[in-house]
Amino acid sequence: MSGRYHRPHGWAWFLARPGYLRFMARELTGFFVAGYLVLLLVTLCRLGAGEAAFAQWLQELSTPSWMFAHVVALVASVWHSVTWFAAVPQAMPIFMGEKRLPAPLAAVVMGYGPWLTVTAVIVWGVLR
Amino acid sequence: MRTEQTMTLEIFRYHPETDSEPYFQAYEVPYDEDWVVLDAINWIKDHVDGSLTHRWSCRMGVCGSCGMMVNGDPKLTCAAFLKDYYPRPIKVEPLVNFPVERDLVVSLDGFMEKLQAVKPYIIRDDVNDTTGGEYRQSPAELARYKQYSMCINCMLCYSACPVAGHEEEFLGPAALALGHRYNRDSRDRGRAERLDVMLAGEAIWGCTFVGECTVVCPKHVDPAGAIQQAKAVAAQEYFKRFVMPRGAKGAET
Ligand code: SF4
Ligand code: FES
Repeated sequence: MSGRYHRPHGWAWFLARPGYLRFMARELTGFFVAGYLVLLLVTLCRLGAGEAAFAQWLQELSTPSWMFAHVVALVASVWHSVTWFAAVPQAMPIFMGEKRLPAPLAAVVMGYGPWLTVTAVIVWGVLR
Repeated sequence: MRTEQTMTLEIFRYHPETDSEPYFQAYEVPYDEDWVVLDAINWIKDHVDGSLTHRWSCRMGVCGSCGMMVNGDPKLTCAAFLKDYYPRPIKVEPLVNFPVERDLVVSLDGFMEKLQAVKPYIIRDDVNDTTGGEYRQSPAELARYKQYSMCINCMLCYSACPVAGHEEEFLGPAALALGHRYNRDSRDRGRAERLDVMLAGEAIWGCTFVGECTVVCPKHVDPAGAIQQAKAVAAQEYFKRFVMPRGAKGAET
């Protein structure tokens, strides 16, 4: 008795607010981005191992389970990028005199615009 | 407008001299759609239970002293209207992530220490020298920090921050936003001194950008944004001190 009361901290803190869950979801999508980088490295190694090894690797990657993994990784990466670029104006405010560039416009100028442009160039380069 | 209806407030109670554990006590209050949660708590204190302890002062969102958890959300109770919750009961608790002194009152000690740690004042050698006139500042220079100077020290952001609750070294949203406010002030020369504090341990790096501090801030200070900007400045400074251990410290840019 007597003294200050310290409320206990539970392990399930991330269930306390919807914003915490959104944060955890954003962090978890980072694993998919990292996982896909590992996959690309393995692909490069197979490429270095010769034409036959690379062809076999590509065949393995075209199985339904790998296709599903690719779709999941794509959705996770897009979500990670969208939320990342949405946060850029908070971290990098742009001032024009007294006026600050509104966040949605700043996100387009510094994030979504360049991102979509680079993506479009890559897609054009691959499909052409 | 007062009606015949009533509403239930479930209030966190804890008196350290008699209670080993806190408990919730339900009170029936008149429902008035113009009332805020603070009005209902004041009504209970005046008419039902004088031992109920809470803090408040201005009743107009200026003093920052009436922050409490309202149905699990950190809120200024003078700005949380009963009509937004009616007819469901409202659960009122002291702000989380702070030790509870008594009922709805939390201890401010740790918060005050963190605020002081960032040296929240203009630092310059010639601060008392007014021979050259005022220290002038253009509207554009003011705009660079004005948002971060609107803080009323209500501590809602600390209650919304999961890191503030777990990491003692973390200075927390309001203190870091305030430090950043002075670092962006064109009249200030104390950035290196403040960065000494911000670069230590988890003082600033504890922030993982959950962002809920900004969501709950009643004054639109955007502490989460201020912290990310301050991190960028701190990272540059950290790198400079690593490359030039002697030269960088104290340099102003
Ligand atoms: S930053 Fe906002 S929420 Fe935090 S203490 Fe200041 S006014 Fe309150
Ligand atoms: S009583 Fe002053 S901010 Fe609520």
